[in-house]
Amino acid sequence: MSEWSGDDGKWLDAHYDPVAGLRTFTSCMALADLSGDGDGRLVVADLGGGASAASMKLKVYGGTALSSESVLLDLPCGLVAFFMDLHEPRIPAVAVASGPCVYVYKNLRPYFKFTLPGLDVNTLEQDVWQEARDGHIDPPAIKEMLESLRKKADIPLSVRSLHFLSLDDEHLEDFVQLHKQQPIKRQTVITCMGTLKKSTADEDGVSCLVIGTESAHLYVLDPEAFVILAKVALPAPPTMLDVTGQFDVEFRITAACRNGNIYILRRDLDKPKYCVELSSHPVGLVRVGKNMVVGTTDQNLQGFTQKGKKLWKVVLPAPICTMASMDLPARGFHGVLVGLANCEVHLYKDKNLVSTIKTPDAVTAICFGRYGREDGTLITTLKGGGLVVKILKRTVEFQDRDSTPGPPAAQSIRLNVPKKTKLYVDQTLRERENGTAMHRAFQMDLIRLRLAAAKAYAKALESSLTPVSSGSGRSLKMNAVVQGLGPSFKLTLNIQNTAACRPILNLAVSFLYDQSLYRMRNPFLKIPLLVPGLVYPVQTLVECTSDKGISDIIKVFVLHEEQSTPLLTAHINMPVSEGIN
Amino acid sequence: MGLFDKLAGWLGFKKEVNVLCLGLDNSGKTTIINKLKPSHAQAQDIVPTIGFSIEKFKTSSLSFTVFDMSGQGRYRNLWEHYYKSGQAVIFVIDSADKLRMVVAKEELDTLLNHPDIKHKRIPILFLANKMDVRDALSSVKVSQLLCLDNIKDKPWHICATDALKGDGLQEGVEWLQGNPSRVCASMCVCVCLPN
Ligand SMILES: Nc1nc2c(ncn2[C@@H]2O[C@H](COP(=O)(O)OP(=O)(O)O)[C@@H](O)[C@H]2O)c(=O)[nH]1
Ligand SMILES: [Mg+2]
Repeated sequence: MSEWSGDDGKWLDAHYDPVAGLRTFTSCMALADLSGDGDGRLVVADLGGGASAASMKLKVYGGTALSSESVLLDLPCGLVAFFMDLHEPRIPAVAVASGPCVYVYKNLRPYFKFTLPGLDVNTLEQDVWQEARDGHIDPPAIKEMLESLRKKADIPLSVRSLHFLSLDDEHLEDFVQLHKQQPIKRQTVITCMGTLKKSTADEDGVSCLVIGTESAHLYVLDPEAFVILAKVALPAPPTMLDVTGQFDVEFRITAACRNGNIYILRRDLDKPKYCVELSSHPVGLVRVGKNMVVGTTDQNLQGFTQKGKKLWKVVLPAPICTMASMDLPARGFHGVLVGLANCEVHLYKDKNLVSTIKTPDAVTAICFGRYGREDGTLITTLKGGGLVVKILKRTVEFQDRDSTPGPPAAQSIRLNVPKKTKLYVDQTLRERENGTAMHRAFQMDLIRLRLAAAKAYAKALESSLTPVSSGSGRSLKMNAVVQGLGPSFKLTLNIQNTAACRPILNLAVSFLYDQSLYRMRNPFLKIPLLVPGLVYPVQTLVECTSDKGISDIIKVFVLHEEQSTPLLTAHINMPVSEGIN
Repeated sequence: MGLFDKLAGWLGFKKEVNVLCLGLDNSGKTTIINKLKPSHAQAQDIVPTIGFSIEKFKTSSLSFTVFDMSGQGRYRNLWEHYYKSGQAVIFVIDSADKLRMVVAKEELDTLLNHPDIKHKRIPILFLANKMDVRDALSSVKVSQLLCLDNIKDKPWHICATDALKGDGLQEGVEWLQGNPSRVCASMCVCVCLPN
């Protein structure tokens, strides 16, 4: 039983039927206690295999077996279980939406059929058919007139006229004969359905049905008389609904529409209160607490507040097939189940992935709730018609943290930033207003500072006859003094070991100079051991061999015997020789 | 019969045994315990147990104190507090609830791996209850699904029961009488003799 389940150890594999033959969607599946004994059942509106009506069924599962099935008359598009009255025992009714009708089942027997009111018919179109009935115009003329109506009329044509326009010429006559006696009607179809508690928030409180239609309307139906309590127009046909609150008190309907927007309506109906424009079309809409989570075709999962403000976004590894909410009130857990095309179901708590469930095939529908006597049951149907039932382990704790690696939690902790003072606000205001001037002033000061520094440096270079240099690697300091008027000069290098206690050994001094100008008695000097702190004068005689009154630089290098790079260098600007050779 | 049993029999004492009755909610624990009680003490209406209830009753050679634990998910974490004092376990399974067989197995595994149970050679009696229900699994199938063959270090026994009629219960209790752990027999001397 376990070879098909690659879970993270949080779920028990209760049941798997690969050949259950269920073809359905999340909107056509519900869990309900249909016998009123605390034993949860699964109710499924099965779309069936082919187009034939006979295979569309209302199926009820209990435990591991199919406990009942009955034929559905039309292709279902939504199924809800709801309490329509206050009778005891508290057994919910089942409503199945198909075409323009809602079929209500009580105790799994057909109980009531509600049909949406017809839409306004184009009066010009009506006139055309009136003429046809009276025999004033022939089929080609009808066709021509309807064609022109279709192009410019603001009220769309009825299904009959559209059908007529699609016929070949030889069938037109028969069609007109067959249909001309009936008045034309325009009927919309249901696209989605939800429930809304009437006046109490109780688990088993009486609920209204909320219906979305292809004509871009929302209807709220009274559960007892099935009259329309409210009707709202939306900018586009809704495809998914989420409803909370109570009709008599305060409620909120969130509708994902076919134009890629999500509209949020409040009790003061009339028109949508908020609108969320998505970057791509929504495929799933789930409420978690006060927020809503939306899955879109571009593999994103996004969280929004109930006012439509975006909270977060997660990119998913595969396209989303379907979404459902996972509520475990006993444990205070609210999450979102996302069925992905890569045969996985991900469980998100806010934006954190807290569990990954592998399924044998891509999922088509997900449902979570009380099944049998187990509150934490996850039911999924698969693309191939399979049915999978998993039970959440009693001991599982979902971490708030994400189970995928990512930025640490500390990153999202808000810093306790102190309040802005008046002074701060004034300063920022000033900065905002005088930005350019302040920048210019700063640049000017900076350039002045640089100029002053450069001037001082140049002056120091020019005036200084005793360049000082000190290396970083070893604590050595040296200065040079040139004495004499020339042509003989005495060059004294004062070398000091500035280290606290370490003597320096094996040092030497060498010189680099223009040999056509100067001659040096000793161009290579060995330096004795340098005791820290003492100044060692090293002297040598330099003779200027030129009488042209020019001078040059002599470079001094202090070297260590084992290193090729000098420890210290100094450039000595020699004075002009004033003596005579 | 052991020497102690005979002694106890002569002196009019009965050996006392603490039995834990465990199993998922709705498996029939309370119904079973009710059936084991003398007929005049039996309750008529059984309501779901909240928390737990303690029942005492005697058979020919044993005096049982049974802790009837609630099987509802939110009370199952109470079970382990009674493992220390338990000298035998009755584990009841609803053989008609195929869906939750995995849950029963999960709870059984948790029980067997608990430190207070793991190293004790306490006997476990499995009752595959509700065998009268039409689609119920056989006791063999139940023991297969629960992997009972893997229990090597404890005496265990499974029997199919129908708690409503009382079928199979006698067999189970007789097995339990022959099998209370030896350790507790000596413990009971201290407990019982002063009375
Ligand atoms: N058909 C049948 N029903 C049973 C049997 N044992 C218990 N029940 C029923 O199962 C339900 C739950 O029993 P209960 O003793 O409260 O279960 P507990 O939660 O384990 O204590 C009750 O409605 C009992 O009548 C049995 O052997 N066969
Ligand atoms: Mg009970």
